[in-house]
Amino acid sequence: MKKLTVIVAVTGAVVSGLASAQDKLTLQLKWVTQAQFAGYYVAKDKGFYKEAGLDVTVKAGGPDINPSQVIAGGGADVIVDWMPSALATREKGVPLVNIAQVFKRSGMMLTCRKDSGVKTPQDFKGRTLGVWFYGNEYPFLSWMDKLGYKTSGEGNAVKVLKQGFNVDPLLQKQADCISTMTYNEYWQLIESGMKPEQLIVFKYEDQGVATLEDGLYAVEKSIADPKMADKLARFLKASLKGWDYAIKHQDEAVKIVLDNDASGAQTKGHQTTQMLEIAKLVEGGKLGYLEPAAYDRTVTTLLTGKSDPVITKKPQGAWTHKIWESAQK
Amino acid sequence: MRQGGLQLLALGLMTAGFVVPPMGGSWLARLLALLCAFVTLLGATLGLRRWDARAEGASDLIAVLVGAAVPLMLLEGPGPFGGAAPGLWLFLAGWVLLLWRMLSMFSRLPGGGAGALVAPALFGVALLYLWQVLVVGFAVPQVLLPAPSQVGHVLATQFDVFWLDFRQTFLKAVLAGYAIGCCAGFLVAVIADRVPFLGRGLLPLSGLASAVPIVGIAPILVMWFGFDWHSKAAVVVVVTFFPMLVNTLTGLAAADAMQRDLMHSYAASYAQTLVKLRLPAALPFVFNAMKINSTLALIAAIVAEFFGSPILGLGFRISAEVARLNVDVVWAVIAIAALAGSMFYGVIALVERAATFWHPSYRA
Repeated sequence: MKKLTVIVAVTGAVVSGLASAQDKLTLQLKWVTQAQFAGYYVAKDKGFYKEAGLDVTVKAGGPDINPSQVIAGGGADVIVDWMPSALATREKGVPLVNIAQVFKRSGMMLTCRKDSGVKTPQDFKGRTLGVWFYGNEYPFLSWMDKLGYKTSGEGNAVKVLKQGFNVDPLLQKQADCISTMTYNEYWQLIESGMKPEQLIVFKYEDQGVATLEDGLYAVEKSIADPKMADKLARFLKASLKGWDYAIKHQDEAVKIVLDNDASGAQTKGHQTTQMLEIAKLVEGGKLGYLEPAAYDRTVTTLLTGKSDPVITKKPQGAWTHKIWESAQK
Repeated sequence: MRQGGLQLLALGLMTAGFVVPPMGGSWLARLLALLCAFVTLLGATLGLRRWDARAEGASDLIAVLVGAAVPLMLLEGPGPFGGAAPGLWLFLAGWVLLLWRMLSMFSRLPGGGAGALVAPALFGVALLYLWQVLVVGFAVPQVLLPAPSQVGHVLATQFDVFWLDFRQTFLKAVLAGYAIGCCAGFLVAVIADRVPFLGRGLLPLSGLASAVPIVGIAPILVMWFGFDWHSKAAVVVVVTFFPMLVNTLTGLAAADAMQRDLMHSYAASYAQTLVKLRLPAALPFVFNAMKINSTLALIAAIVAEFFGSPILGLGFRISAEVARLNVDVVWAVIAIAALAGSMFYGVIALVERAATFWHPSYRA
């Protein structure tokens, strides 16, 4: 009887495995589940991936996870990452290629307390600034290099702290300024009781040091393989459909993101504000299309480093429109 | 005769290595390597003959040293290695057996001191050598396991960065936290011994505090003491407190009843008994705790740095560079941390030897 049960179970598993025609794909996100990735969660929950014949696993990121490292180790097929981190990893030998650029504008900014006395970037000298690492430090290092401030070693002009997941360093006055995103940490400061009049922000876009942020990346081998390239194109088409839907139906998108948040840490209010801000970064132009001019601007910003450049030479073949064009069909 | 058998097997393997190509081409393409290989075989054959031990040892040593150069010379060339170089691996296998024979001879060298260190030192160097040859030969990706030459290169070129990291983590956080933690544990143990009422309360509470994992208290201490080395020292204090407390309490109970009775018969006060009998008797236990704490302190400081630090420190360097896929830097930091921890332990062991030479464990 037991033997029969085992045989039936195994046959059932094999048959069901063969019967599902869905192609598997793993997406590694850059941060925890939040409205920053609404498009992908919407595409999953509204069935856009299923329609395209894909079974997509969305892996949330976090403070200790660098998506470039995950794909280098084979833990994902496609990742959401920022361009500086992807280009730096490409230079290290991992052949990452940009297949789509979802965010057109940068949301990164340095937020300082007004009572610390910082008024302009020239006031940063001798101050304590908080920065995230794990791939998020490149735009900051590039900006400091442009200003001519040494961040490490003896006689460093600015003191840099490796920031954690929260905004405590600014609240506790352990840092004069911290890195924030227009859609996340800035609102965490407001929600914790600080008033906008008490803060002064320096947007990377305004400082001329903005770099391209959330984009989709895959390895060269995946793009060269016709079957995988087709899967990626279908994935991109469904994801962009998800983003379009999320921007037009923001309340529903927020609800979907909250449903997918396994940690339960996100709140409706915070995510609604985030969705609004994210929409501002995604809108405009062709959805998901990487403008070569924007790519060149990012590369120039990264290359013009005096002492500590993020990348040392111009990347070749770091992006392709092939997948985006297939996704338009 | 087993030694001779080992030697024969080594010779056999190395000769077999000649029959098969050592890499893309044949042995003749690398004449210098071929010459060295012949010298190795000669040395090994001579070592088979049962002359006096010294000649045997000398010829084996030459064979091993020259034989070590052969794979390095072959690997400098182009052409595929790995599965396509059976000659190289056969030769290496034979060389390993020859090394084994040589090490077993060296481990029987008379004389303590430097003589006893030769075999272990050679073994260590041989391990590094094999790591290098295997990683280069099988083209292991650098992100999985870098070669010792790459790690050495990083250590040499980024020495100034590592010195600052070492100063931040070890000289500031670890030493300060270790000193405070051990002293606090010691003092509380002495108080708990004097006032048993306090002891009954403090011991379980300290046990509770020590059971809290580092990853839990580190972020809290960063919030209390700031991002700099002070919070890391605080973590080290919490981690080193309990082992010292427990060991000192046990040590204070180590002076047996007969000895305490003798002091009582001399009308010694509590303080005199403590200082002249019980503390010296407790020293082996105190040093035990200090040795345990030396390695714990370094681990605690490095782990605490993962939770918020200025951009310097051994723990910060590991976490930042592993995310940038600079695995050779990570290995270099691991090497520094391991060396620092071992030397810290060694220094305490030496002080222990000087202070507790009278203990039975040091006889013979």
